[in-house]
Amino acid sequence: MNIEIADVTRQFGRTRAVAGVSLRTGAGVFGLLGPNGAGKTTLLRMLATVITPTSGSMRLLDRDPGAYAARREIRRRLGYLPQSLGYYPGFTVAEFVEYFALLKDMPPRQVPGAVATAIERVELAGKARAKLRTLSGGMLRRVGIAQAIVNEPELLLLDEPTAGLDPEQRVAFRLLLRELGARATVVVSTHLVEDIGVACGEVALMDAGKLVFHGTPQELTAKGEGHAIGDAPLERGYSAVLAAARS
Amino acid sequence: MTAGAGQVVGQADGEWRAWRQRLVAGVRLLRLELRRSAMVWMLPVTGALFWYNAFRESMAEPAMWNLRAMTMQHGVLLDFAPPVVGAAAWMGSRDGRRQLTDLIGTVPRPRWTAQLATWAAVTCWALVAYCCCVGVLYGLTARQASWGGPLWWPAVVGAAGIPALAAVGFAAGAWFPSRFTVPIVTVGAFFALGFSSQPRAPQWRVSPTVSGAPSIGPDAGIGTFYHYLPDLSIAQVICVVGVAVAALGALGLLDRASGSWLRPIASSMTAVGLAAVVLAAGLAGTARLDPHGMLVIPALHDAANDRPIGYTPICAHAVIPICLNPAYAAYLPECKRALAPVLAEVAGLPGLPVRMSQGAPVYFGPLNSGFAPSGAGVVIADGSSDGSRQTTLVLPDQLPGEPSGADITVNQFIGQIRLPVAADLIKIMVGVAPGAVRVGAVPGAGRISAASGGGSPAQRAVAAALAIDAGATGAPRANTAVGLAADRFAALPAAVRHAWLATHLTALRAGRITLAQLP
Repeated sequence: MNIEIADVTRQFGRTRAVAGVSLRTGAGVFGLLGPNGAGKTTLLRMLATVITPTSGSMRLLDRDPGAYAARREIRRRLGYLPQSLGYYPGFTVAEFVEYFALLKDMPPRQVPGAVATAIERVELAGKARAKLRTLSGGMLRRVGIAQAIVNEPELLLLDEPTAGLDPEQRVAFRLLLRELGARATVVVSTHLVEDIGVACGEVALMDAGKLVFHGTPQELTAKGEGHAIGDAPLERGYSAVLAAARS
Repeated sequence: MTAGAGQVVGQADGEWRAWRQRLVAGVRLLRLELRRSAMVWMLPVTGALFWYNAFRESMAEPAMWNLRAMTMQHGVLLDFAPPVVGAAAWMGSRDGRRQLTDLIGTVPRPRWTAQLATWAAVTCWALVAYCCCVGVLYGLTARQASWGGPLWWPAVVGAAGIPALAAVGFAAGAWFPSRFTVPIVTVGAFFALGFSSQPRAPQWRVSPTVSGAPSIGPDAGIGTFYHYLPDLSIAQVICVVGVAVAALGALGLLDRASGSWLRPIASSMTAVGLAAVVLAAGLAGTARLDPHGMLVIPALHDAANDRPIGYTPICAHAVIPICLNPAYAAYLPECKRALAPVLAEVAGLPGLPVRMSQGAPVYFGPLNSGFAPSGAGVVIADGSSDGSRQTTLVLPDQLPGEPSGADITVNQFIGQIRLPVAADLIKIMVGVAPGAVRVGAVPGAGRISAASGGGSPAQRAVAAALAIDAGATGAPRANTAVGLAADRFAALPAAVRHAWLATHLTALRAGRITLAQLP
């Protein structure tokens, strides 16, 4: 199991952003759904070792992120795309990805090849020398994905990766997700349920800091049978589970 | 080889490879940062500020290494502070402003090392700018100066100050990544440096903008005859290195995402840096003025630096050779103009020195470290003689063309040389200084007052007459018997006066000539 968390909570002052979440998952694409403020980003930040849980236990890639050496090892094998990706406007696409490749302790000899591959995979090869300040929002998102996958991560955490991507890019991105999910654990947090349906083998739904559903997209779809809210079957399942959780 | 030994060798090889990889990665990070550092944009600003302030001020000084290097040290960090601190603060606040803190926090390499690469890039560019600026200044001085070589310690202090400025700015930016941080830190650093350059307590001499004894400042006599003492510079370097280490340590304290190993290292660095600053300030507080105008810090002082600098003097002939330190070559014509009339009065007389050589000025008195005007509290001996036939000539502490001085003109400079030398020479020849007759007729006359007094009335009259005729002092004269006799003697044709002196000088010195016997 690449992710094993048990009864994890995270509190910010009086606000409990994540409340007793338990999860186990291995290789494959894992979709994390939920409304705004459900605690998805906080959970992802904990999985990315940015913040530590207030309570509960956590093992990532069979290591305890609480220990420095293990945490460092996890981070070497980790890719993370935050919800709001910051960037250095003066850097070129290639420089930005190279910067993170170096920070991820990649062997320097492998860096140029890995950078080129990552940029190629997000279809930005033609823009490799373009400065980030000249790119559109969608392109910047792809640069963010490139920096996340440059080290061929075993655990890839993507927070709203398709925000700002046009339909064509989203299709390409789903293909990339499937490809990455073949040998790594990819956790995708999104509002866009259609992304989940196509790309994910497993899906979880969070609400008010709690995990209210964990299963396959088909199981989630099944939950929506007979439910009125939502245009697509998966959306109806999403709405039905949320409604049940809130009632 | 046993299996165990092979394992150890393999382990060492692996560790070495890991270190090498880290080093190469660090160099690549630095290369990236060098390409995109905000300091690159600040280079023209830095150059312009340096040109406007330190360069123009230094180049306005006479072409002497000591004056230009010390003036440069005083101004250069003030010029570099705003752009370097500003650029460093901007780069330090980059991750915070750009919302990259989360992402940087998920990488295995400690955020601190990434920040150090960014800081190093700012520092490298600033140092390149500094080396270019100082290189131009020193290059021009090398072409203009008549003698001597660069004073490196003032340049070293400035160079050591650059990483400290960058570290302070960077740490401030990293700790407070707000848009207001850059202007606040930039202005704050400039005023802090400016404030520290006007020391109120002895410990403030440790400021890198203080060049030499605060009450003397850059002076032509310092580092010309005796080696430039590095004592204060060493204390200043310790201080700025301490500031840099403390600031970089404080930067490490910010990195909470890395392991617990980082905190003790960062805390220790901060503590060691602060201790170095305190130590340097303490050392600067123990400084005392040495007779050669430099600050001696007993704990740092190397007695080998006290030896005089050997040189071949340059000479001009005016009755006797007048010889100066080659650093003062530009002033030899003025010295000759100043001394020729005085020497003409006593040419050929018994007791005339065979040569007049420049001596080192002597600085003594309490070391005033306060806000006193330049020179206050320090007495500079501007003339001395020991009665030997080789007379020492000490030039005034202010040279024509020195902007920091009292705007002394060439004629004033000549007068300031002529007066004390005439007094000394006449005292050697006649046995009494002309100041016994009158004091304060020309600027600087007060300096010979101590030599006045004593001697017979005839000696005093002859001394006054010679001084008047040599142009070392002038009318009006005192309405006394001595004054009238001096007027009478001075009014004689030079040849007559000279012939009388050649005959009667021994009797005059012995006090056997009365006023009535004077022609």
